[in-house]
Amino acid sequence: MSDMPLSRRELLRTFGNGFGTLALAGLLEQAGLLGKESVTTRPSSRPLASRPGHLTAKAKAVIQLFQNGGPSQMDLFDPKPELSKRHGQPHPEQVETFQLGNRNVLMGSPFRFAKHGQAGMELSELLPQLASVADDLCLVRSMHTENNNHPFAINMMQAGKTFFGRPAMGSWIGYALGTENQDLPAYIVLRDPAGYNTSGRMVWSSGWLPAVYQGTEFSATGTPVLHLRPSRPRPREAQARSQDLLSQLNAMHLEEHPRESELEARVQNFELAARMQLSATDVLDLSRESSATRTLYGLNNPATAGYGARCLMARRLVESGVRFVQVFPPLSPSFQPWDNHGNLRDGLKTICGHVDQPSAALLRDLKQRGLLDDVIVMWTGEFGRLPITEGADGRDHNRHAFSLLMAGGGFKGGCIHGSTDDFGYRALENRVSVHDLHATILHQLGIDHTRLSFLHNGRPERLTDPEVTGARIVHELLA
Amino acid sequence: MKRMISRRFMVATSMILCYALLVLGRHTTRTLGSEESPPPSFEKDILPILAKHCHDCHGGDRQEAKLDLRTLSTLVRGDPGSSLLVDILERGQMPPGKKNKLSPAELLRIRDWVKAGAHAKEKLVALPPRGQVSDKDRLFWSFQPPRKPRVPVVKSADRVRTPVDAFLLARLESKGMTFSAEADRHTLIRRAYFDLVGLPPSPKAVRAFLDDGRKDAYERLIDELLASSHYGERWGRHWLDAAGYVDNRLFDGDLATIYPNDGIWRYRDYVVRAFNEDKPYDRFLIEQLAGDELVDWRRAAKFTTETLDLLSATGYLRSVEDHTSEPQYGIDKRYDVLFGVMETFSTSVLGLTMDCCRCHNHKYDPLPQRDYYRLMACFEPAFNVFAWKRPQERFLADVAPLERATIDQQNAQLDKQVSALQALLKVADKAKDVAGIADLKTRMGMLQAKRRSYGKVQALWDVGRPPASRLMRRGNVNAPGVLIQPGFPEILQPAGTTPFKAASAAGDSSGRRLALARWLTRSDHPLTARVLVNRVWHHHFGRGIVATLGNFGRSGSLPTHPELLDWLAVDFAENGWSIKRLHRQIMSSSAYRQSSRRPPAEAKTSVGERIDPDNSLLWRMNLRRLEAEVIRDSILTISGTLDRQMGGPPVELTTPVDGASEVKTSATGSQRRSIYLFARRVYPLKFLEIFDAPIMPVNCTQRSSSATVLQSLTLLNSEFLFAQSERLASRVLSTAGMKLRAQVRESFQAALSRPPRDAELSRCDGFLADQTRTYAADNKTREQAIRRALADLCHMLVSTNEFLYVE
Repeated sequence: MSDMPLSRRELLRTFGNGFGTLALAGLLEQAGLLGKESVTTRPSSRPLASRPGHLTAKAKAVIQLFQNGGPSQMDLFDPKPELSKRHGQPHPEQVETFQLGNRNVLMGSPFRFAKHGQAGMELSELLPQLASVADDLCLVRSMHTENNNHPFAINMMQAGKTFFGRPAMGSWIGYALGTENQDLPAYIVLRDPAGYNTSGRMVWSSGWLPAVYQGTEFSATGTPVLHLRPSRPRPREAQARSQDLLSQLNAMHLEEHPRESELEARVQNFELAARMQLSATDVLDLSRESSATRTLYGLNNPATAGYGARCLMARRLVESGVRFVQVFPPLSPSFQPWDNHGNLRDGLKTICGHVDQPSAALLRDLKQRGLLDDVIVMWTGEFGRLPITEGADGRDHNRHAFSLLMAGGGFKGGCIHGSTDDFGYRALENRVSVHDLHATILHQLGIDHTRLSFLHNGRPERLTDPEVTGARIVHELLA
Repeated sequence: MKRMISRRFMVATSMILCYALLVLGRHTTRTLGSEESPPPSFEKDILPILAKHCHDCHGGDRQEAKLDLRTLSTLVRGDPGSSLLVDILERGQMPPGKKNKLSPAELLRIRDWVKAGAHAKEKLVALPPRGQVSDKDRLFWSFQPPRKPRVPVVKSADRVRTPVDAFLLARLESKGMTFSAEADRHTLIRRAYFDLVGLPPSPKAVRAFLDDGRKDAYERLIDELLASSHYGERWGRHWLDAAGYVDNRLFDGDLATIYPNDGIWRYRDYVVRAFNEDKPYDRFLIEQLAGDELVDWRRAAKFTTETLDLLSATGYLRSVEDHTSEPQYGIDKRYDVLFGVMETFSTSVLGLTMDCCRCHNHKYDPLPQRDYYRLMACFEPAFNVFAWKRPQERFLADVAPLERATIDQQNAQLDKQVSALQALLKVADKAKDVAGIADLKTRMGMLQAKRRSYGKVQALWDVGRPPASRLMRRGNVNAPGVLIQPGFPEILQPAGTTPFKAASAAGDSSGRRLALARWLTRSDHPLTARVLVNRVWHHHFGRGIVATLGNFGRSGSLPTHPELLDWLAVDFAENGWSIKRLHRQIMSSSAYRQSSRRPPAEAKTSVGERIDPDNSLLWRMNLRRLEAEVIRDSILTISGTLDRQMGGPPVELTTPVDGASEVKTSATGSQRRSIYLFARRVYPLKFLEIFDAPIMPVNCTQRSSSATVLQSLTLLNSEFLFAQSERLASRVLSTAGMKLRAQVRESFQAALSRPPRDAELSRCDGFLADQTRTYAADNKTREQAIRRALADLCHMLVSTNEFLYVE
C-alpha cells in the first residue's frame, strides 16, 4: 500500500477538507509523487502541462518585443546611400501607398548609420544601445508581408493571416508545448498601463483554440492580473474560510459527478488562482532587482522607465518558466508609436528614446544570466515604410519590405540576412515571409510547423498553412 | 482522391478554356457549315477527354512543364496542324505512361473540334451547366434530401415518450445499453429553465413544480416557459451568435472608441420577437434574407409595423465587418464585405464551409469555385461594389422614404426660419432689447420644437442595377475571371434542375435574395432543416447530432444518429417549421429527462462507461456549463436586481484603460439582461468575455466553454460578485431572519434551487457562525457581521461548480 501512489480522490479523503489539499495534490503530481490515474487522462484536464514538441528544442521561451506602427527600415536598419543621393527626385516607379495624396518623391534618411560589432552591422544613430549588442543580433532586412494597413498586417505577424479570428502565435506555442510554471499562464501580455495598442486584445486572441491559450494581460502597475485580489478586502481568516468552504462544496459535488474532467479542471483553477495571488505578485515585484539591473533597463529615467519595466518583467517571467511573453511599446506619442506619417525626425527619435535602451538591456541581462541561449527575443513591427516622402517629413506604410531583429534561442548573432532594392522599397535577396519567420521560430522551439495542427470545423488548421503559403524554415538565420 | 482531383481540374480548366474562347471568339469568324457532320461539342465530347487524361497535371492548380490551359497557347482555332495540343497528343508524347493514352477516336475528336473552331456552347456563363458534380458526390449523406425514416421499435417501450427516444434507444439497445434513470424534479426544473429562458427558477416556482401532482406537470412547465417572453431572449441570443450580431460597425480595434451602428438593435429585437412568436423558421429565413423584397417599401406612403419588421429583419447581414468607411480603401475591401456575408450565411444557415472555394474548388466537398461566386451573385445587387454604400450610409429611416423626404424638407425650412431669427437676435442683443430677446427666444424655441426626427434601421436593400458578377481567380479581386450568373450550389440541387430564376420582388429589386431564400426553404432542401434542428439539439444536449454545427460537409463530423436527424428535419418542415414544437419534441423525451450523473466510482465498469465514455449515444444527459450571459443574468436574478425590460437601444458600457469594462451605472437599465448590453465586436463586457462570450470578427457558429483561472479569479474577487452576493444576502435575511439554519436553507434554495443536504447544512451553519465571529472581532456590529458572513456564504454558493453547470 505504501508503494502505491495516492490517487487525487484518496488524498482528498485522507487529508479531509483543507483548501490547500488540492494544491498539495498538484505539487505532488508535479514532483512525480502522485499517480496520474485519478486525474482524467484527457489532456483537457491539464491543458498547460509542459510537454515536448516534435523535435529537439533549441529554445524554451519567446519574448516578443512588438513594435507596432511599422518601424522605418531605411532610417533604422537598412542604410540606403542611393536614396540619400537621389533625395527629392521622383521614384522611378509608382510605389504602392496607403494614404491618399502621396507624392512619389524620394526622401533620404536624415539619420547617420555606422558599422557595429565584429560583423560590421550597419545601424542607425537612433539605436546606440541595440548597436552595442550587434553581435548578438540577427538582422533580417528582407522581410515582406501581405497587407499595408495596421490591423491586417498585425494580424498577419501575430496569427499568420491578414484576416481575423485565428489564434495568435503565442497561443499556438502554448497549445503545442504547455508551459513550465503551472502557477502562471503560458502566454502573458505586458502593455502600457495607459491603454491598448492597435487591434488591442485581438492581437493575443486564441481564436478557435481553447481559451486557456489566449494571452493573459499582466499589468505593469497596480494589481498584476485582473481580479487577482478581492475588490472588497476581508480579514485573512475570513477569506481563507470562504475558500475552504467553496473547495469543500465543490469536492462534494465532484463526488456526485465522478470523472468529469471539466469540473476537476475548475477545481484545479481555484487552487491555481490562490497560488497566482502569490506567484504573480512575486514575479512582477521589481523591487527585488539590484539597482544595477534597474539602471540597466532605465528604470531611473522617465523616458525609459515604463518600457524598461515591461522588459525587465518579461525577463522575470521567462525566468520563472512562462512560455511566451509579448511586450508592447508605449502609447506615446500614439497607440501606434512607430507610425511616422509625419514628423519622422522627431517622432522616431522619441520612440527610439523609449525603446532602445530597454531592448538592449534585456538582451544583455538575459545573456549575463545564461538565459539567452534558451530564449528567443524578436523585435519587429508589422511592416516597413516607404522611401518616398509623405507630407513634408513622413513615410507611408510599406508591405514590400521591412527589417526585424532576432536574438537568442539559437538565432545567429551578428547575422545580416537579405537585402532590399536601392531605395529599400522592396525586399530583393533572400526574401523572408512572415510564414517563414513563424516556421523558423516554431522550429527552434522544437515544433514541426507542418505538424502543429488543430482540427477546426473539420479542417486541420495550422499557423503557417504551409501548402498555401510555402512556409519554410530559414536555416540561414540559425547558428 | 484521383477522381476528386480530376473533377477539380476539369472545372478549373473548362471554365478557363471557355473564358479564353469567349474572349478570342470576338476576333474570330466562325466557319459555319463547312463540316459534313456536326462538329464535336466541347462539353459532351472534349471536356471528358481532357478531364480524364490531362487535367491532373496541366490544370489550374498544377501546371507541369509550365503548360497552363488557361492560355490558348496550345491551340489555334480552326487549324489543328498548328495546334501544339493536337501535335503533342497525336505524337503520343503526352499523356505519359502506357496506360493513359488517348484512343484514336478520342484523338480524332479533338482534331475535329479544333478544326471546327474550338467552340464551346455557353455564352454568358462560360461553363457547362452540369458536369462538375458527379453522381458519386451526391451519395454523401448531407447532400441527399432528408427522408423520414420509420420510427424503430425498441425493447424498453416504457421509456419511449417521443420518437426521439425510439431512435436513441434503438442504438443504445444494439450495444446492450439503455437510458439512465430520470433526473429528479429539482434537476428537471433547473434544466428546463436554463435551456428555455436562461434564468434560474425562483424558489416559489420550484415549490409549485414539486407540488404539482398532475400527470402532465412537466409538460405544463415546458409550455409555460415557452410562453415566457424570456424564451425569445434566450434563443434569440443563440441565433445572434450565428448571425455575428454586434452593435458597432467597423473593426472595433480600439477599446476607447466605439462606433455605434445606430438602429441595428432593431434586428436584435426582431429576432427576439420572432422566437417568441414562434415565427416559422422558413419565414424567419426569408425575412432575414429578403424582407425588403417582400414589400414595396420604396413607394410606401407610411411604414406599417410589418414593413418596419421586414426591413429590420434584413439586419441579419449587417453585422459583417466593413472597413470601407475609411477612404483609403478601394474595391478589395468592398469585396471583403461580400466574402464576410458569404461566410456568415454559409456557416449559419447552410452548414457548409464555403470559404474555401473563394480561391479554389473545395478540397473536401463537391463545391466548385464557380458555385461560391454564383451564390455570392445573389448578394451582389445589395452589396453592389459598383454603387457602394459605406456602412455609415447604409441605413434606412424608420419612416417611409416619402415621409422622410417631407420631414427633411420641413426641418430645412424650420432651420432657415430659425437662422433668420438668430440674425435678429444678434441685433436685439446689441440693442439690449430685453423684451425683444425674450420674444425671439420663445419663437425660436417653438420652431425648434416643430422639428421632427426619425430613427435608423440597419437594413439591406438592392442598390442600383445588379452589377456583373465575376469569378475571382485564386480569390483575388484584382484578377477577375469569367462572368458568373447567380445560382445555388449544384450539389444541393437535384440533377437537371433548371437554371436560376430571380423571384419577382415587390418593388424595385432584383429578387435574387428572395429566390435564394425560397430555394433555401424548400421542404426537400438537403441542409436547411437539418442544420437548424441540429443547432436546437446542440443547445439542449450540449452536442449536436452532427458535432460540427457549421460544417455538414465531408470534413465535418458524421451524424451520430443520422435517422433521428432526418426524422426530426422532415417532421420539422412538415409541421410548419415550428421551433417551439421542436423544443417540446426534444424536451418531453425520456432522453432529455435522464440524469446526467455517471455511475459511482465503484461501478466504473458500467456498460456506458466502457462502451461509450464520451456519451455520444446519450445513455445519460450531458453536464453543461452555463453560457456567459446566463451566468450574469442568473446572478442578477437571484440577487433580485434583474431589470426585465425588453428591447430598445443597447445599454452602454464603460471603456477603462485596463480593459475591465463594466455596464455604465449611469446608463438606464444597467441591470438588464446581457442580450441588451452593447455588443462589441472585440470588447464585449469583460465579465462576459471571461466566460467565453464570442468576439465577432466573424460570426460564431459554436461557442467554446473554457475553464480558465481568470474565471475563478473573477468569481472570487470581482466587485460584481461581491455586490450581488450582498444583495442576495439581504434578500435571504429578509425571509429567513436571524436563524443560521434558515439562512443556509434559504441561500441554497435561491442559488441552487434545492435545499441543502444534512452535511451541507451543518457545514454551512458552522461556517456562518465562525465567519460572524471573525467579523465581530474585526470591529463590526453583530448585524454587520451576520450580513457579511451570509454574503460570503452566498458568494461561495454562486461560485460553485453546481451553480455554473446545468445537470
